[in-house]
Amino acid sequence: MIPAAAPRSVAILLLRLAIWIAPNDTLDWGRGMLSELNHVEGNWSALIWSIGGAGVLAKHAILAAILPGSQRRSVSSASELFDKELPMRKTTLAVIASCVVASLLFFLAPVFRQAFAISLVQWHQVFHVPSNSFFYRPTPYSEALTRKVEQNRDAEGLVYVALRHPNPDESVRLAEEAVQLDPNLTWVYGVIAVQYSSFPQFDRWVSELEKYDPQNALPHFIVAEKIDFDEAPHKTIPDAFIKGIGSGREDHESPAWQSAMAAAFQSQKLDTYLDRLKGLDRRVLLRYHIDDPFQALTDEYSWWYGLPTHSAWDSSCYAKSILESGAALEARGDRAGAIEKYLAVARFGQMMGPAGAFWLPRVQQQAFLHLASLSEKDANNERAALYTLLADQADQTQKTELSQLRGEMRGGGVSGWNAAVMKASGLLLVFSTVLLLICALAVIVRGGSFRLSSLHPHYLTLALGMGGAMGSVLGSVMLYVSYWPYAEILQRFINTGDESRIPDLAAFLSDATIPLGAQDFRSVRQVALDFWFAVTVLCAVTVLIAVFRHFQTRPRASAA
Amino acid sequence: MKTPRLSPQTLRVLERFVERPTAWRYGYELSRETGLKSGTLYPILMRLAKFSLLETKWVTTEDGVPPRHTYRLTPNGVELVRSTFAAERSALKARRPAFSGGRA
Repeated sequence: MIPAAAPRSVAILLLRLAIWIAPNDTLDWGRGMLSELNHVEGNWSALIWSIGGAGVLAKHAILAAILPGSQRRSVSSASELFDKELPMRKTTLAVIASCVVASLLFFLAPVFRQAFAISLVQWHQVFHVPSNSFFYRPTPYSEALTRKVEQNRDAEGLVYVALRHPNPDESVRLAEEAVQLDPNLTWVYGVIAVQYSSFPQFDRWVSELEKYDPQNALPHFIVAEKIDFDEAPHKTIPDAFIKGIGSGREDHESPAWQSAMAAAFQSQKLDTYLDRLKGLDRRVLLRYHIDDPFQALTDEYSWWYGLPTHSAWDSSCYAKSILESGAALEARGDRAGAIEKYLAVARFGQMMGPAGAFWLPRVQQQAFLHLASLSEKDANNERAALYTLLADQADQTQKTELSQLRGEMRGGGVSGWNAAVMKASGLLLVFSTVLLLICALAVIVRGGSFRLSSLHPHYLTLALGMGGAMGSVLGSVMLYVSYWPYAEILQRFINTGDESRIPDLAAFLSDATIPLGAQDFRSVRQVALDFWFAVTVLCAVTVLIAVFRHFQTRPRASAA
Repeated sequence: MKTPRLSPQTLRVLERFVERPTAWRYGYELSRETGLKSGTLYPILMRLAKFSLLETKWVTTEDGVPPRHTYRLTPNGVELVRSTFAAERSALKARRPAFSGGRA
């Protein structure tokens, strides 16, 4: 139950608060409203009186903050008398014009134009702008580039566009054309065979890749991955995958998969061709002066260590099975056979290097520990110490990889924040520009002229225009500052090949594609719904206000 | 010359002032007479005062009650308001035949 006097108390408090924030020239008015409260009949009427008065004072406080310097003036003609409008003040106009010019000047910088374009990518999800690849936007520019490299018969250029083309058939055609022009680019089959493993050319690609680079484990991993995909509908997810590495996955796999993994295990090296790909990308970026990060980066940078998706996991499973077979030999007393198996796992781990992610070092560590144990039994303490050291190193590698992976899963902290700031800035810039344009249009329509002297904006219009102008400058500055470091990363990669911070750029771009307010791609649909709901409500409110204002301000016979 | 746009609310307030040009009026009294809420009335009063057409004064009505802010038109205000009303009326008269459906 609300006490009867509570609304009046709130009314007094509200007006006192409004008087506190009111500019000096309205203090008397505020105190006048407050003194009148003593004479307003009814507590709720007093509250309504107070809300109206507080609103007036608050409006003046805001206007004084945005447009300082309103002064008492005298009038000499009736035309100036009750007009709500004021002659457009030169200072205000100059400030607005300066802000607009400053914002436009930002657009002269290519980095800023790029930043602005990236800030708009988030809306592709909301407006359902088609995008066939994570990092790819089909644009007239990219189509023109495709035509250009084909005309130039530029093999490297063909590879570049092939790996970015949204149409699989076209992508494959371009890649094969590139290899025909330059057989040294056969390694590109290692990339497209993973992307398009269902194509009938798959076997030919793998075969040519094996001939091109017979010592490489990659073609075998690609075959194993295809077998995984082909057999996926017929098998359940193994417990080991869910619980972490426990029992080997090999029990569930076909002989073909076993054979492919055995071949990979016996290979002399692993080359994912990622370095060649990055080198090729750099050359093409320089050759065709491409500096748009969405055009420059492609999905291969988001691969795990440049390997097909399952290879790291497959490798660790297979290594685990070898390790277990070694342990079985050891139990049967076949020490030489066991050592051979353990060494094979250790060697395979070394060959895989960082491509083994955090799974393989774990198996590798166990292999070293088995070897250390056997060395101790042989009283070879020196060798045992060496294996123990290598086991510790493998353990450290595993922890480092796991920590990095967890960091990536959590999302780049700085990149995420920068992307959020960039998206908000882009939004602010668009909103401010629209607001400014609406204000300008309203002033021109009401003035009926483009001449500055005949423009008489309402105080509120002037304040909104000023807000829009300042918002556009603020949005421009924030947009530039939040994107500039990433433009530098890209430029450094293109000019010097420094790819140390490319993952940051990839994370930033990935975050930039998610609409502001969405946590991830799963909540994009909800954000889109919220957006269109907000637009609908805003339109309805605008129409209601317009109707209300129309009836409120229409001439009445009694008024005259 | 551009005709000043007078809102019906402003006209209502001015009418009250013109009725008794020399009398000091209270804000709440004006609000009741015109039917305008404080959020509409005070901006009108403030604008009139800003153009030196309205003068304000604090008056003490009775002991123990805070002084009240009172308002009335300045001589300039009265003169300008009357001339404006005259112009409004003549304009209205000129338009009336058309509204009634006849042709002048």
